Amino acid sequence: MCGIAGVHAYHYAANPVDGAELAAMSARMAARGPDGAGCWTDGAARIGLAHRRLAIIDPSAEADQPMASADGRLVVVFNGEIYNHAELRAELIAKGHVFRTRSDTEVLLHLYAERGVDMVHALRGMFAFAMWDARENTLTLARDPYGIKPLYYSDDGWTVRFASQVKALLAGGALSRDPDPAGAVGFLLFGSVPEPFTMYRAIRAVPAGAVVRVDRAGAGPARRYHAIAQVWRDGAASTAPDAEDRIRAALRDSARAHLVSDVPVGAFLSAGVDSGALVGLMRDAGARDIATVTIGFEEFAGARDDETAIASEVARHYATDHATRIVTRAEFETDLPRILDAMDQPTIDGVNTWFVAKAARERGLKVAVSGVGGDELFGGYPSFRTLPRWVRACAAPGRAPLLGRALRSALAPFAAALGLHPKAAGMVEYGGDYAGAWLLQRGLFMPWELEKHLARDIVAEGLRRLKPLALIDSVLRPRPRSAFARVASLESALYLRNQLLRDADWAGMAHGLEIRTPLVDSVLLHGVAASGWRGQGAKRLLAEAPSRPLPAAVRARAKTGFATPVGQWIAAPDLPARGGPRRGWARGWSKRIIANAGGAWAAQVR
Amino acid sequence: MSDAGMKVLALLTDGFGAAGGIARYNQDFITALAVSPAVRAVSALPRHGAAQAETPARVAQHAPAGRVAWSAHALRLAASERFDVVFCGHLRAAPLAAAVAGLARAPLWLQAHGVEAWARPGAAVRRAAARAALVTCVSRRTRERLLRWCDIEPARVCVLPNTLGARFTPGPASRAARERLGLGDAAVILTVGRLDSAERYKGHDRVIAALPRILRDRPDALYVVAGEGGDRARLERLARDANVAGRVRFVGRVADDDLPDLYRAARVFAMPSEGEGFGIVFLEAAACGAAVVAGAGDGAADALADGAFGVRVDPHDQAALAAAVLAGLNGAGRDGTGAAQRFAFSRFAQHVDHLVTHRI
Repeated sequence: MCGIAGVHAYHYAANPVDGAELAAMSARMAARGPDGAGCWTDGAARIGLAHRRLAIIDPSAEADQPMASADGRLVVVFNGEIYNHAELRAELIAKGHVFRTRSDTEVLLHLYAERGVDMVHALRGMFAFAMWDARENTLTLARDPYGIKPLYYSDDGWTVRFASQVKALLAGGALSRDPDPAGAVGFLLFGSVPEPFTMYRAIRAVPAGAVVRVDRAGAGPARRYHAIAQVWRDGAASTAPDAEDRIRAALRDSARAHLVSDVPVGAFLSAGVDSGALVGLMRDAGARDIATVTIGFEEFAGARDDETAIASEVARHYATDHATRIVTRAEFETDLPRILDAMDQPTIDGVNTWFVAKAARERGLKVAVSGVGGDELFGGYPSFRTLPRWVRACAAPGRAPLLGRALRSALAPFAAALGLHPKAAGMVEYGGDYAGAWLLQRGLFMPWELEKHLARDIVAEGLRRLKPLALIDSVLRPRPRSAFARVASLESALYLRNQLLRDADWAGMAHGLEIRTPLVDSVLLHGVAASGWRGQGAKRLLAEAPSRPLPAAVRARAKTGFATPVGQWIAAPDLPARGGPRRGWARGWSKRIIANAGGAWAAQVR
Repeated sequence: MSDAGMKVLALLTDGFGAAGGIARYNQDFITALAVSPAVRAVSALPRHGAAQAETPARVAQHAPAGRVAWSAHALRLAASERFDVVFCGHLRAAPLAAAVAGLARAPLWLQAHGVEAWARPGAAVRRAAARAALVTCVSRRTRERLLRWCDIEPARVCVLPNTLGARFTPGPASRAARERLGLGDAAVILTVGRLDSAERYKGHDRVIAALPRILRDRPDALYVVAGEGGDRARLERLARDANVAGRVRFVGRVADDDLPDLYRAARVFAMPSEGEGFGIVFLEAAACGAAVVAGAGDGAADALADGAFGVRVDPHDQAALAAAVLAGLNGAGRDGTGAAQRFAFSRFAQHVDHLVTHRI
């Protein structure tokens, strides 16, 4: 878990790598790796790699990065954790490989030497790495299937640069800051910038579950080796009778795998089923003295929305070493400049994670487990019910030429007067297929609202480059057969990937905290998709997965959901925490965030 | 000739036997392509060029033809012969090339040079360019500008810089050449480029405007303008108006063979342009030992390798331009051997081989 960066002057015309530029990129990520910093440049200065280390597996200096293979052919920088590194190491040793460290980093070197780029299929975990192969003269950039760990790159035609953060790439000083309208339009539509776009034309994300190879002609196309929709589709044929048993086994397996560490692994605990069940599963996997953290808010003390009491009950139930951390509005206001600085790309979320990660770090934790991803895998969002309903209802009228657009144009100006959410006007135009329905459900602003906030030509250019509906639809290839699997694919490959996981990365890493996500795991996904399960009774299934199930009170209370006052703090002090347009605060906040996203953007937002 | 390897149909505006920057680039490119082990034969179809031009081995050049005949010929070739790649040497011809590639069921390789690729072109060119399997641009600047309007995956757009002829080497200017041009012992500031009234971006007028300042410190400075075109009268008038006509010499078009000597006679090569796709003349001048001053906002960043081979100034900052020229006249920055090595033909040819092998 760390920060990585690099510069590769791949073109014969390019100047050698500038060590000062690489150092500046690395320095911008100091918070990601408080335990060490390393830098390596090859003899001819055609490639330089940098690393910031948060030491978790084999914390010894032998495991420092950049790490080279014994023969000097390969050099790697790696951010993340390979949870099956022990199994892979055993296989490689059996094939004659000799290891010098106990680190998962070294496993990557040997595995690449053995299998080449195809090695990514064998990895279980969260990762972003860059592997330099001096013999083949190629640099390989790879990212885990869900995209838990970030990786951005820039190719100017001579030189490729990459880093764990957009802001680190910019800190190098060599890149154009020319704004990308697709990034701004994407952010206002989705609430986070959808990959592979960023707020800058010069910078793109290595897509989740993809590999980018850089040869002497530059960065090649991103090649996908994993698609969530494919896993759901492949699993659909299963009609196993013991689906629930299989899922419970897969959950236990994932919790066990995510405990691999040489430092203590703690957990975030909310009043929800997901995080509680995970703590139970961690106990089953043999974890003792688990440190757990919950954040509470002064405003909610003793009120319905106070999660702390139930979280404490779960903590007692599993005998964890529990702490409740109260966050106040004053603390939020003090931290806000640091939050905005740590926020790598504009997002309307992540503030909760900032505080819970801060609390975990205050307790001395370097690693904490989060329940994020449970709703996407087990159907916890309302979208699992609403989307199929909308698509059924709107499919026929949506096919009538121009009807949807006419209805929307007629309704939109009166939406507020009619007490409708501004998005409601687009129901017929967008609701008839899964991509459009998802945009309606998740969208912050709708496409026809954008010109209120950005100049018309920026909106047009942004929509042209982004192609939002095609982008949404692309995560449904190949098309999963069931409605459940379609919504699960959409939520996992869009909302979870571009919003929740990215927020977990910057908000956690800003405190030097590694956030682990046992419910976001390619092996677990495969287990659930192939179990024959039909999407019924998910929360019960999770709650009963630990050998000692969650208390019934928790399961009953969790159904109604919780709110936080963060929305009130950040944008609209007059808005109640509940009521008003859904995520009404986020609309105001988003404009503040985008204006904060760099000089060029401040002038563009209305 | 073996059967293995690719057969390339190259649609060129300027082919072998034609003059000018784009012709030079095309000739270098086709020569490099033909020596790639991956290529069996190149069929070049130029709009301009010599009917009986000498071509490298494995290259056959068809006779140049007017636009309609040229287009018809290209389509006929694609329909009658098998080609593995269709190369198009100019963006303007992209719609035709895309049709030809479609007919030949072969991938399209498109070349972008400079200003023609910077502004957003018409829909037909945009559509054709988006369909290219590979677009090569002469500079990073051209690539960046093209990616603003072209809906193509950036991974399919690579940079293939101009290459430098081996005859551009440092050395003393021949006395004969100096005398022929009447340079005497003057400290020469040189610009080589067309004096096109439509292409005023090159910045001759800006050098003339900076001359009074330069002459104050170096009265022996002489501005030599090589190249011909419709803008000459205006530039001559500017020199008169600025009272520097006696220190500006228009020498007209210089034959290719005389260029190295001209560069060697110059202390400073100055062209504060706003629209160079790459600016091969900067490299040629640097390789012959002149100090180079270029504009800061265009493709010259590549020829100067971000400042490794010369100085870039804001073309509209007259004081900065004068200071950079004076520094050059006084002996700063005149080691151009690196430029010659970096942009040598051998490296260009290796790159072309890599592109045709791995990116098509």
